[in-house]
Amino acid sequence: MSSPALHRRRALRLAAAATATVLGVTLLAACGSDGDKSASGSDAGSDGKPVALTFWGWAKGTKDVVQAFNASHPNIQITFEEIPSGNAGGYAKISNAVKAGNAPDVFNVEYPQLPDFVSQGAVQDISKLVSADLKGKYLPQSMELTTLGGSTWALPLDASPQALYYRKDLFEKAGVAVPKTWDEFKDAAAKLKAADANTRIATFFPDDPSTFEAMAWQAGAKWFGTSGDSWKVDMGGAETKKVADYWQGMIADDLIRVQPSFSQQWTASLQKGETAAYLGAAWGGGVLKSTLGTDPAANGKWAVAPMPSWDGQPASGMLGGTTFAVSKDSKKAKAAVEFATWATTTPEGIQARIASGASSAYPADPELIPVAKAAFKTDFYGGQDIYAIYQDAAKSIKPNWSWGPSMGATNTSMKDAFGKLGQGATVPSAVDTAQQATLAELKNRGLKVAG
Amino acid sequence: MSGATSVPGGGTPAAARGGPAGTPAPRRRRAPFGAPVVLLAPFLLLFTACTLIPIGYAVYLSLFSERRSGLGFGGATTQVFTGLGNYARALGDAAFRDGFWNTAQYCLLYIPLMLGLSLAVALLLDSALARAKRFFQLALFLPHAVPGIIAALVWTYLYTPGISPVIDALNSTGAQVDVFGHPLPAIVNIAVWEWTGYNMVIFYAALQAIPREVLEAAVVDGAGPLRTAFSVKIPLIRASVVMVGLFTVIGSLQLFTEPVILHDVAPGVVSTWTPNMYAYSAAFERNDYGLAAASSVILALVAAALSFVVTRFTRGRDEKRAGKRTPKPTEHRTETAR
Repeated sequence: MSSPALHRRRALRLAAAATATVLGVTLLAACGSDGDKSASGSDAGSDGKPVALTFWGWAKGTKDVVQAFNASHPNIQITFEEIPSGNAGGYAKISNAVKAGNAPDVFNVEYPQLPDFVSQGAVQDISKLVSADLKGKYLPQSMELTTLGGSTWALPLDASPQALYYRKDLFEKAGVAVPKTWDEFKDAAAKLKAADANTRIATFFPDDPSTFEAMAWQAGAKWFGTSGDSWKVDMGGAETKKVADYWQGMIADDLIRVQPSFSQQWTASLQKGETAAYLGAAWGGGVLKSTLGTDPAANGKWAVAPMPSWDGQPASGMLGGTTFAVSKDSKKAKAAVEFATWATTTPEGIQARIASGASSAYPADPELIPVAKAAFKTDFYGGQDIYAIYQDAAKSIKPNWSWGPSMGATNTSMKDAFGKLGQGATVPSAVDTAQQATLAELKNRGLKVAG
Repeated sequence: MSGATSVPGGGTPAAARGGPAGTPAPRRRRAPFGAPVVLLAPFLLLFTACTLIPIGYAVYLSLFSERRSGLGFGGATTQVFTGLGNYARALGDAAFRDGFWNTAQYCLLYIPLMLGLSLAVALLLDSALARAKRFFQLALFLPHAVPGIIAALVWTYLYTPGISPVIDALNSTGAQVDVFGHPLPAIVNIAVWEWTGYNMVIFYAALQAIPREVLEAAVVDGAGPLRTAFSVKIPLIRASVVMVGLFTVIGSLQLFTEPVILHDVAPGVVSTWTPNMYAYSAAFERNDYGLAAASSVILALVAAALSFVVTRFTRGRDEKRAGKRTPKPTEHRTETAR
């Protein structure tokens, strides 16, 4: 016989337990909502006051670009907030802010995630604000990736051809020539390991599928396509299979390190010379330099080479690459596009970014490559003309690749599967898992999938 | 509680009180609509705003899915009522179920270890042999003063090969330690480090409250320190042990911070490693708020069911043990008498 007091207490306890867990999610949602109120103000400019824009991004050198823009544009003032890189939580922050209705006017998004943001309705159609003239300035492969369903959704900052960064001294010591094909790369890996049992040639990033995706692109795979209003998803094709089997072999033979991207582990093993190369993209040159360049002894030891290919002919995919998108609810799209245009197509915008020292972005506007080249201090690479390598690589970017509309789900499932490498999962099985998760997600969103 | 003393036998006190009821009755009648309402209002207001409404909103969200048309670009996004569809999707997802399995394994390893350790330390501190009690209490409690995120970051540093002096020292002796290959013990270790001292303080306080004469009686009866600990002290602080156990079970279900921090460096800690992380990942990585809401409601129900089972189980035992004190007889008995 229990009294009402006990009943009540039990009910309260149950309610408390239930609350605690549900609150977890709702509070998280609330965390992102302390945005800048000024973003929602009236469309200024006409009354003489400058237009106040808010901008979120993480690309290297962005702060310098914003400063230079604000200094030269009294009519538009930008408040820049540096957020974590997309993969490290930046995208979650942006989509959360869009959902909460306090998104910044402009934000950076990489090519792979742009369709996802468009599909979520987080991004504004800026077709009307982008002239044919302006579109013509950019590398066609970049413009292709920001044009979805016939509309323009973002302006590209950089093209991101792949590049191989390697330690000249370690390669020389092991008697290894710079590999031109993936077979040679595997031989080089074995020789480096033979020369020093602690040394591996490079790193497979289990937490960031974008490197693997660029490798599939380079091999000629086409994961996403459309026919009519249906999506085609093909992550199981022969080219992808070849790439997946190759990296699985490298991991199984212990010829490559498996470490999270840009982690302390990765940095430490580069600093100790236990990892001799980095499979990156054009922007990686600045990242590597700012990560390792603090040590004077590292300067001049690194060099850049074209990414090895399957047949020895130059070939490249695109690894990441940043665009400027305008958020759905921004009433200042015109000013936002003006800023994005300035940041991506003017010598001043590119100059400010590269002169920050941390960025080696390869401009999506080819006319600005000489500006970038002149602004980048290349002592870290022993004075090598790294932009010449990027330029050749950019020409070899395989055309007609497109990204799917749910790369968030695709990448999450792939990196979770990569996380189980060595515990039952393999690279090919991870790709298969990602394909299944992608199809399920497309269906869940009500999108049509062909075949 | 003072009322309990006036109720030795049963129905008689109600009858005894019934006589002079004339004068206190109006005061009692005014009370339910006066002071209690005013005093409860702030709580109820906050409870509604911060608890009931969010739960209601989560339940509401969990019944809908976002649908797009065509290729999904530029078209309208519609909210479609899917009933329990999101719940079915969450429960049908092996990753979500794996999260519960991980949590169960975590509980099985963590709870006995942490409870045993903190109880042992509390008993040691409570024993006559202990020296410098204050110092050890403070030293053991200190880890709890470190915020969970900082603790997770510190341990991550200590776990990371190539950076951690501990792992490097172990590896140089030839023992190949791969902490990130076995994330469960790594996370349990962080939790034990954080919580042992805290719960030790609770146990120690309970031990201090045991009447000294009981312990003296045990000593007189010839019980040694161990016998006293197991047969007298632990049974007497059972209520504290149960309470700590309950909080720990619920806390374990909400495991989030430590695995999320480890997720960045140990890919084996997948983005859906615990049910909480599954909800987070669904909401913020896959932008599927319906699924996120459904999975957190499921998690809340599991937590509620578990705490019900734990309280029910332990209260049943308590009542059997202390059958003689069936308290709280006053209010509703006087009402039924009327």
